[in-house]
Amino acid sequence: MKAYFVPIKRRDFIKKSAVGGVVFATAPLWKLFSYSLPPPDMVSNPPIDLDMDTLRKLLSIAMENGGEFAEVYLEYNVSNSIGLDEDKISAAARGVDMGVGIRVLQGEKTGYAHTDDMSPDKLAETARVAGLIASGKAKQKSFDLSKKEIPNYYLVKTSPDSITPQEKAKLLWKANSVAREYDKRITQVGASFSDINKKIIIANSEGVYVTDDQTISRLSVSASAFENGKRSRGYAYKGGTLGYEHYDFQIAEELAKEAGRVTMAMLPAEDAPAGEYPIILAKGDCGTFFHEAIGHSLEGDGARRKTTCFWDKKGKMIASKIVSLADDGTVPGKRGSINVDDEGTPSQNTILIKDGVCTGFLYDKLNAKLMKTKSTGNGRRESYQHYPIPRMTNTYLMAGKDDPEDILKSVKNGIYIAKIGGGNVSPTTGRFVFSVPEGYMIEDGKITVPLKGIQLMGNGPDVLMNITMVGPDLEILGGGTCGKAGQGKPVSDGNPTLKVAKITIGGARIQRS
Amino acid sequence: MNYKDIAEKIIKNITRLGVDEAEVYLESDRNLSLRIRNGDVETVKQSSTKGIGLTVYKDRKLGFSYTSDFAEESLDEFAKRTVQLAEVADPKPWNGLPDFEKEETQKDLDLWDSSIPEIKNETKIDIAKKVEKIALSYDNRIKNSTGAGFNDSESETIIVNSKGISRSFRTTGVNFSVSVIAGEGNNMQSGGWSSSKRHFKDLATIESVAKEAGKRAVAKLGAKPVKTAEVPVVFDRYAAGTFWYGVLFAMNGDGVYKKTTFLTDFLGKPIASERITLTDNPTIPRHIGSAPFDGEGKITRENTLVEDGILKMFIYDSITARKAGVKVNTIAQRRGYKSPAYANFLNISVKNGNIHREKIIEGIDAGFYVTGLRGIGTDIPTGNYSVGASGFWIDKGEIAFPVDGITLGGNTLEILQNIELVADDLDMRGTLNSPSFKVTKLAVGGKR
Repeated sequence: MKAYFVPIKRRDFIKKSAVGGVVFATAPLWKLFSYSLPPPDMVSNPPIDLDMDTLRKLLSIAMENGGEFAEVYLEYNVSNSIGLDEDKISAAARGVDMGVGIRVLQGEKTGYAHTDDMSPDKLAETARVAGLIASGKAKQKSFDLSKKEIPNYYLVKTSPDSITPQEKAKLLWKANSVAREYDKRITQVGASFSDINKKIIIANSEGVYVTDDQTISRLSVSASAFENGKRSRGYAYKGGTLGYEHYDFQIAEELAKEAGRVTMAMLPAEDAPAGEYPIILAKGDCGTFFHEAIGHSLEGDGARRKTTCFWDKKGKMIASKIVSLADDGTVPGKRGSINVDDEGTPSQNTILIKDGVCTGFLYDKLNAKLMKTKSTGNGRRESYQHYPIPRMTNTYLMAGKDDPEDILKSVKNGIYIAKIGGGNVSPTTGRFVFSVPEGYMIEDGKITVPLKGIQLMGNGPDVLMNITMVGPDLEILGGGTCGKAGQGKPVSDGNPTLKVAKITIGGARIQRS
Repeated sequence: MNYKDIAEKIIKNITRLGVDEAEVYLESDRNLSLRIRNGDVETVKQSSTKGIGLTVYKDRKLGFSYTSDFAEESLDEFAKRTVQLAEVADPKPWNGLPDFEKEETQKDLDLWDSSIPEIKNETKIDIAKKVEKIALSYDNRIKNSTGAGFNDSESETIIVNSKGISRSFRTTGVNFSVSVIAGEGNNMQSGGWSSSKRHFKDLATIESVAKEAGKRAVAKLGAKPVKTAEVPVVFDRYAAGTFWYGVLFAMNGDGVYKKTTFLTDFLGKPIASERITLTDNPTIPRHIGSAPFDGEGKITRENTLVEDGILKMFIYDSITARKAGVKVNTIAQRRGYKSPAYANFLNISVKNGNIHREKIIEGIDAGFYVTGLRGIGTDIPTGNYSVGASGFWIDKGEIAFPVDGITLGGNTLEILQNIELVADDLDMRGTLNSPSFKVTKLAVGGKR
């Protein structure tokens, strides 16, 4: 038995940047779309703005036909990205999106219209079109908007948009050289930095007026290696609702080493076996599993429509009793963290499963109202071009009590999942599939041969019942863009070390009888 | 000013900013989508969007920006900033606009249906209500609806560049769909179907879409895994597209240049059974995957990628072709105005065979008929194939019972070479179309 596992302290860099105690950055004074000062050599974007009078007028036009609720959502979004590939800065890119989306609700009906033309006529027409869904006479004619103060869960001191691409490129060069030095068999290295800087204003007929200044940033490094006809690829990133002060040469170096470590660890990987095995999910990077396999089935739209496998399970055991699951938009600095959702509802921590019992669903305003409950602050939308729907924020399996070493020792013949990759699920059946960029055999309680081509398959309800051990070492490290109904939204997820007693592994090495 | 004038003006002005080459890609569209659930209108959404993606080259350095703000002074600043971005990048000798020599003239592919803007909302709502109603009544085990929808859109695509190219085309699109749920409790299955066309008159019938959705929801009720075995496998035409995705990704020219695809050394060599011919044809009139020019503004044409099993060409855009030093017909796609063009197929079809799908199944004693694949399955560097699948078990030439939760495992090249029969059931409903086909043997992994 060869020990392929490369035991380095792969989490050091994350801990360094994690929040010690509760350190909230002071909320920046809101100035309507006066963007943080651009670098002197960059041209600034023209600010856009809607004053209270305009917002009130638009709400009143939207409700002319007797809608029960109206909302104006204004967005101004600047995206930056810079990438390094094949020892060259390939391109720096920048994009500006702006527009207004107007929504009217009546009963179960939604009317939505949006425009990127800010002229008063066009805005008025957009409001009118959104209101066409309703029929009747205007019920509400005056709108008393007052600004709502909200807490801050973003860790942003320096806006990444205020940093020149030249400056960001230095981090990429550092990562490139460190990854290439990591091992001479590493033949390709890629690195990128991207940031999204979004300002939103939300005003609705219930008097809500909220503004939020949202920053999401990410530094990622990938590497690939080639030797004796075998190829492998490794990937590492740091990101979240983080300002530029969270990135420096040291972080770039640590990410490059981590990408190098995974690449080299997976180079000698063998084809994964197929069949039923116990698995251990490593802490931190396997939360996507819970987001996909469970979380989507606990979203309030599916629950209301009775189209998810858990719609009638509130108050019932849906998991083994050591399983508790949360969706928490208030964890500082995480990719899915939000001060308010895209309907202006403050973010919160929602317990979805407590000791195995289904305790709730994730709601936006519409589905909450129809289900006679309250929004959980999960009404999210990709942009002004979309109406909000229930979406997750930071989803994680809560900490348990089993010693991670005992968890590993308890498996005689199984699979160790160090990182989970992309996946998808049908919320109706709960059936999922995931790829695994870093995984190993477990033999007699020890991590042994690296495996490629692992596919985790099964369905959410079965897996929940089969979770037999959960460690205390919760970390929220996952991060990506979740797609639902054609809308992409940044989310994060996490998990402690845990064991699933059996799950189907799909691998290229199918035992032929 | 109309949009083409705006695009031409940006190109005219930007040459004064010291760039060598520049391209404006401008997209505008209007879309209306209606959603029905349980017979009532649930949402009505009207969209109008526009945007410019600006690509500039200065000393072979690339800069890219996009914006949806078309105000004149904003566009001036937008152009300046894009030039500043090019300063940050490193020069690459292969960067630059494509060559436009010896091109055919732009063809009218009949992609615009003037009747679409005239369709009344009542008609659209009726269609959505009807398709949902018929789907719900397809079988008494169908208990719920996730909804039905009707969408229509008009869009215009413009490419203007500093090589004097100024091209545009308009399209319409129309689509309706339905998804229903069969079964109850822990045994629920959803099934959906849709029809998407450029012309309203070309849409599938409401009945056919509704029945296909109902059939799909019911068919998989009670699906279970089977025991691991190596058996003949039939890929259904609507599941096969996902398999071809993997093969097409492996044909990406830049992957070949970087030697990161298992097809790197196969140009001009057999990669598949001689029954396989695969073409990219974006010039089919009225088709949903058609366009008179591609993401780089080049006039489109039909390209044969695989002919009688022989790999004839890789997929390059003009930049990756120049980098690899090959002279080929380029195929570039655009994912909207927010990113530059990249090498990708536009409208793929695998040539029909000459046997009915039913005949293929009849000829199998014990095997698996795949109707759903969860993911692409092909590992591009190695060609290893491993994918979650669902479908039906074939017993003595007949469909025996539904199967789910199993894996197919093998190697993509082996699968391609083992395609023994190709059915005659090609349906050009999307942009990646294949008839059903039979693979002689494939490992089906399930219960141990």
